[in-house]
Amino acid sequence: MIARDRQAADTRLARLFVAPVVLVVGATAIVPIASTVWAALHQRDLRLPWLGQPFVGFANFIEAAGDRRFLEAVLHTATFAAITVPIELGLGLAVALVMHRVRRGRAIVRAAALLPWAIPTVVAALVWRLVFDNTTAMFGFDWFSSSRAAWVPIAAADVWKTTPFVAVLLLAGLQTIEPEIYESARLDGASALRQLFTITVPLLAPAIVVAAAFRTLDALRLFDLPYVMTGGGPGTATEPLSLYAFVALMERLRFGYGSALSIAVFALTFVVALAFVRGLGRASHIEAL
Amino acid sequence: MRWQFALAGLMCTVLAACGGSTRGRHLSFSGSALGEEGSLVRAQLARFAAQHPDVDVSLRITPDAANQRHQLYVQWLNAHVPEPDVLQLDIVWTAEFAAAGWIRPFPDTALDTTDFFPAAIEADRWRGVLYAVPWFVDAGLLYWRTDLFDNAPSSIDALRDDAVRARRERGLASGLVWSGARYEGLVTVFMEYLTAYGGRVIDDHGAIVVDAPEAVRALTFMRDSLGEQGFVPVSALSWQEEQVRFAFQNGQSAFMRNWPYAWGPLQDQRRSRVANRIRVAPMPPAPGGRPSAALGGAQLAINRYTREGDLAASLVEFLTAPAQMLERARVASQLPARRSLYDSPDLARALPMPIADIRRALDATVARPVTPVYSEMSEILQVHLHRALTSQEEPSTALHDAAQEIRVLLDRSGLRGAAS
Repeated sequence: MIARDRQAADTRLARLFVAPVVLVVGATAIVPIASTVWAALHQRDLRLPWLGQPFVGFANFIEAAGDRRFLEAVLHTATFAAITVPIELGLGLAVALVMHRVRRGRAIVRAAALLPWAIPTVVAALVWRLVFDNTTAMFGFDWFSSSRAAWVPIAAADVWKTTPFVAVLLLAGLQTIEPEIYESARLDGASALRQLFTITVPLLAPAIVVAAAFRTLDALRLFDLPYVMTGGGPGTATEPLSLYAFVALMERLRFGYGSALSIAVFALTFVVALAFVRGLGRASHIEAL
Repeated sequence: MRWQFALAGLMCTVLAACGGSTRGRHLSFSGSALGEEGSLVRAQLARFAAQHPDVDVSLRITPDAANQRHQLYVQWLNAHVPEPDVLQLDIVWTAEFAAAGWIRPFPDTALDTTDFFPAAIEADRWRGVLYAVPWFVDAGLLYWRTDLFDNAPSSIDALRDDAVRARRERGLASGLVWSGARYEGLVTVFMEYLTAYGGRVIDDHGAIVVDAPEAVRALTFMRDSLGEQGFVPVSALSWQEEQVRFAFQNGQSAFMRNWPYAWGPLQDQRRSRVANRIRVAPMPPAPGGRPSAALGGAQLAINRYTREGDLAASLVEFLTAPAQMLERARVASQLPARRSLYDSPDLARALPMPIADIRRALDATVARPVTPVYSEMSEILQVHLHRALTSQEEPSTALHDAAQEIRVLLDRSGLRGAAS
């Protein structure tokens, strides 16, 4: 009897200890997500209060499916991720290999390499906008009035800013590879290129997948660079999904439709995150072999 | 024990907040509060307070960017807050706020509406009822250089010829500059070309006609004027008012389309290369159209949820009285909304620009569509105009799609056929 009483008391105490966490997670994660879903199922347009706030089921999602601007925004976001992430991984790997080799002034080199990453995105965006505006003055080519060329400054700023992050992640991975492996490879007469592709890259795979996951998920949430540099223009040619959701929510004040778009952003990143988690499992498997 | 102290503290704070005012009644005003405009409005509010000794009048500072102020107002009024009691509205917001029931109607007997510019009064009515009082007006102006030309161009073709010739013969970087970024300013520029070509966005029956042939001709003219072959720089597609002013102020352009505010800085000899060499005119007409100047400006309206309705009405009456409008013209160069003041020598002295030029522009004003969904309608136009000007869409396709989207918008908002 006494034992059971103690057990019950322990359970009560345990619940009491867990309660704050449950409350905090509930208040900061579950409640907002649930209320966004709830809003997405309603028509709620702050500017048209005479329409009330009726429940409309999936009407907002159906509208999004037929909204050309939304579909283009999805395409813009996916294309941006597909182009910038491989460039950042490639450059990041190169920078990491160089940093790994540096013997003297190691701390300074690493700090300097990380500098772009430490600069606030909005500041970096303004600087890059200025850089490209100046080339306009010099060469008479206006980057920001061409629907394709306007992506170049955005991609350049993104690569410049996030390559250091990838490099540092990969550098940490490089440091875990035993030097003896390279030594025996050299004794076997493997070329530097051969070493890179048969030793470094496979052993670095988990770190590469982690870096790719971070960068891809970040790229899919792309917002601040186009917001500052192009405003999504010309027209809506550089408008990513998050920016369109922002326009619908905060400029048009269509809380229902904007919430539906936010859920689309969430769903997209969630699916990709899931894919990467599986990829990560496979990459660690390779390492184990 | 501790929570009891906390509660006591909280109650003190609440009581202090309630009993803060010593003068009894309180009135608050929200509007532009930057620079000269800010000191002017503070002085005028202080004069009003001096006339009403039992009233405490305060200035509630709101963002100066129109979009942000609009967003803040919408959120406040959705929450039925009673303050600010008096709101400064942009001319294109009145219908929206009136239809939403956020501002109080003015009885027509409250003021002599015939003294105000008719287009401004029309923009302040919704379903025939007056909801705001024009405070000052703004008009899109074509600035031209007296060192290059003897007269303002008489037609849109003459504007093109003059601009092209100025580039070729004087070596200027551009003939004409205007604000072509994807924002409200682009719509006001388009409104002027549209009117110059005889087109409209909404006709008298409420039908959307922005895809009519006149409109396509207007937008085609705008697009063809861009680039090396034309006379408007491609960079103008990312410019707002200030970048446009810089380009003209540096002497790099023969013409500029901008608002009256630019006059002051352009006449500053230390910074401007065109000082004392400028005049203003409306946008000249194409065959079948008329001269035009987009109408802008500010209105005063009363919060529906105010606790001081009568007092708020007297503040609006005070701020829109001739004396305050003249002072505003003198201090901030903002144009009075009352027509009778334009006959007064006081105004001719107060305004820095030639009053005859200004009167011709004000006679040519064209209002943007008066509809509660103007902001969204404008956003649709901004996107499609910008796509056409950056050659992503043909002008006819762009305007056809814009018109279609605007019709869907009116359907969704339950306003089809009731747009004007």
